[in-house]
Amino acid sequence: MSAQFETDFWKDEKRRKIWDDIVPGEPRKTIPYLLTLEAIHKYCESVGDRHPLYYDEAYAKASPYGGLIAPPSIHILLMFSCTPIDDWMRSPGTINAGQSWSYNIPARPGDTITLQARALDKFMKKDRLFVVHDNVFFNQHGQVICSGRGQTIRPM
Amino acid sequence: MNQTANAHTTAAFEALKEGTEVPGQPFAVTRETIRAFCEGSLDFNPLHLDDDYMKGSFGKTSFGGIIMHGMSNFGLLSRMLTDWLYPVGGVHRRLETRWLAPVRPGDTITPGGRVKYKRSTEKSRWALVDVAITNQRGEKIAQGEAMVEFPLETAGSTRTKETA
Repeated sequence: MSAQFETDFWKDEKRRKIWDDIVPGEPRKTIPYLLTLEAIHKYCESVGDRHPLYYDEAYAKASPYGGLIAPPSIHILLMFSCTPIDDWMRSPGTINAGQSWSYNIPARPGDTITLQARALDKFMKKDRLFVVHDNVFFNQHGQVICSGRGQTIRPM
Repeated sequence: MNQTANAHTTAAFEALKEGTEVPGQPFAVTRETIRAFCEGSLDFNPLHLDDDYMKGSFGKTSFGGIIMHGMSNFGLLSRMLTDWLYPVGGVHRRLETRWLAPVRPGDTITPGGRVKYKRSTEKSRWALVDVAITNQRGEKIAQGEAMVEFPLETAGSTRTKETA
């Protein structure tokens, strides 16, 4: 997956919206993403999580979840997977100032995930430029997986 | 009581008290774990990769070298909650966090939680948990609040049901 993912966030920097350009309420361009078991495992390993609901198919099948799932915090990966290279979340120096997420149903390996996202607000505080993010992830059945709000401090 | 009530989930909810501790595992942060989080999350922001860039100044803030992703805190807190909830049939429903201080390679950070409130609603049972992460010097580097559910029906059998 990451083979085709551009990891140089400086490239395309000029194409990205800066604080001045961001229009609160305007939908962000997003892209559907096929969530693989491999991507789930790569994420799990990065937070040291080896829960059998994410790794052991027999265990997961026998559980109330009926099969392998992704951990709730998989939206951390989905934010970057479902946004294009010119999205302003990739702007070097973007600082995460806090997040809140609500979880409905788990994402599963093989799901095609879509994102509806926008900047909901932008403001200045203590000489810094803030944007409020508003995000909802869906699976291929149109079910909400999770929804979240975040604030970032924009690079100056 | 609901016919489908899950006895162990009910017992877990009833045992909750204000002050019940939620245990978390220490996590040793290295340049390699930060790099692994870049790969796992696809967040390749130079804040987490490029020491030269991080020697510059960011408005009022200067970091002096790479820092851990703030969302690593989020992932570790979330993992603490699911480790606690899955065995008793509980569900991690919400997590709100903010970061208080940057985390650097060489730090060891430990998440923890403490139940502060519980209530039943018409259709379910809930608890609020204060969560925080502290480093090896006892400094709080992230804090927040979680909302967890102890469903009347078995977790996974209702809202987590597959429709396909």
